[in-house]
Amino acid sequence: MKPLRIALAQMAPSLGALSDNIARHREILAAARSGGADLVVFPELGLTGYQLQDLAAEVAMREDDARLLALAAETTGMSAVVSFVEESSDHRLFISAALMEDGEVRFVHRKLFLPTYGLFDERRFFAAGDRLRAVDSRLGVRLGLAVCEDFWHLAVPQTLALDGAQILINVSSSPGRDLAALHEVGLGTAASWRNLMRTYAQLTTSFVIFCNRVGVDETISFWGGSEVIAPSGDAIFTAPLFDEGLHFVDIELGDVRRERIGLPLLRDERPELHLRELRRILAERTEMSIDEASETQPNPADESETH
Amino acid sequence: MLDGTPPDAGRVGEGKSQLFELPPELAIDADVARRVMVGFIRNQLQQAGFSRGLLGLSGGIDSALVAFLVAEAVGPENLLCVLMPYRTSSPESIEHARLVVDQLGCASELVDISPMVDGYFGRDGELGAGGETAHDATPLRRGNLMARARMCVLYDRSVTWSGLVTGTGNKTESLIGYSTIFGDSACAFNPIGDLYKSQVRQVAAAIGVPDEIIRKAPSADLWPGQTDELEGGFTYPELDRLLFWMIDKRRTDEELMAMGFAEVAVARVKRLIAVSEFKRQVPPVAKLGPRTTGVDYLYPRRRPGSARR
Repeated sequence: MKPLRIALAQMAPSLGALSDNIARHREILAAARSGGADLVVFPELGLTGYQLQDLAAEVAMREDDARLLALAAETTGMSAVVSFVEESSDHRLFISAALMEDGEVRFVHRKLFLPTYGLFDERRFFAAGDRLRAVDSRLGVRLGLAVCEDFWHLAVPQTLALDGAQILINVSSSPGRDLAALHEVGLGTAASWRNLMRTYAQLTTSFVIFCNRVGVDETISFWGGSEVIAPSGDAIFTAPLFDEGLHFVDIELGDVRRERIGLPLLRDERPELHLRELRRILAERTEMSIDEASETQPNPADESETH
Repeated sequence: MLDGTPPDAGRVGEGKSQLFELPPELAIDADVARRVMVGFIRNQLQQAGFSRGLLGLSGGIDSALVAFLVAEAVGPENLLCVLMPYRTSSPESIEHARLVVDQLGCASELVDISPMVDGYFGRDGELGAGGETAHDATPLRRGNLMARARMCVLYDRSVTWSGLVTGTGNKTESLIGYSTIFGDSACAFNPIGDLYKSQVRQVAAAIGVPDEIIRKAPSADLWPGQTDELEGGFTYPELDRLLFWMIDKRRTDEELMAMGFAEVAVARVKRLIAVSEFKRQVPPVAKLGPRTTGVDYLYPRRRPGSARR
């Protein structure tokens, strides 16, 4: 089988400069195309920069914004994951990652977990997404999209894998910090992320693609170090820290099958057990009966209003 | 004063033994730190539409390190070091500043601030612009005015040099408030403000700041014989360790004392931090309108259109 060629766009977006960043995405897409890439992955908020604060509303785009569609139009015969500030029809702002394929926007994942602690203040400016789904792609494999902090919650990679994803894609704007000599590569953030991604790849027996931006927004320096991890948990490729670059990595999708046959962890998952125990835990937390606490029992009376 | 010596405290200096004492928990990867700070300087200048930086070079380690970093970020030809002695400043300070300028091959200017400072406080029995009360001013008042005179010179030279004033204050002095507000702390941006003094020494040694500057006792040089450690009653490795565990690692007073830090030292440092909180923040604005800067009007300092050109 022909290997799948991934292009990691470890770029430094310019804060708030939407049209400049769109132009940069175009250039990178073209370069990735001439390099034979099947899938190009851009970092979180690559179209806008990260530390936007009140600028977020000014660079927000609807899912059908002409500028976004024009960018999507350049993905004929290939796939790309592009991240931007999305404004919904009811004017909520989301940090979104779109899967663009064959010239159109196929799917949009809205960041589920918005860190609002430490140096982060995302919940002040953004709404949290509430859907987590894997998506079929033209690559012949289901993909699972996640944005940065989404991967600091165990259920996310697991749910995506259970939903059929064989490639988990995390796009990030991870600020480098915790510069202690004791950490791998001298950067606490990098050490933590590397542990997470190897663990997820192995436990979900999936490929994990991590694209992290570089450059500086205000006080924050983003560390890059984008990676591709095999379903065995071994890193296939690790990009340099802090440097911009377009990196091509070939993967064998057959590795997923081999790993899952040899190590059938996903086969042995017990989602029904999770569900049962989660219902119980939620009921105990809210001191309600299991039926009351569950969101999976739709009230027929509500159907007509929600659809 | 602080006690609480770590069990495996060593004297480290990137292969230069005995150059300075580095508490092990404060050790950082100097290359990564350098990388981040150099990228930060480039970004700050570029976003503001500038290609040059300037700073007050005192002869001490903090401004020496920043000079090296700016030179690495934008080239020594884009760095101006301003030497601003007062007539009582130590001659050694100027010598050490010159070492840095010579090693980097950057531009430098000497501005003697004595007439500015004496013009206010007076000299040899003659009253200055500050009148009677200024004539007998305490060393603290005099030191503050010197720091602010230097700030005035730097901001004036930022116009002639077409560059941004680069900050040289470290995290230790910022946290304990050992700085003059609107004086030495005034800057357009500060690359080393999140490095403790011990870490400044570590990066300075790695980047090639001359040994004599790393080795000498830190001093504000506001009066003869002054040193930070004598004035504060602490050593930097001790103080840095305490601040690190208290601030970065969120240890409670009880936990700090269990680690061996003296109760009186913990109390004193906590008070220094609290008393100087105002120096680390932008002055508050009374909330009146619907959108107030710093409260609910929150923009990045630099965005499209905010560069000078």
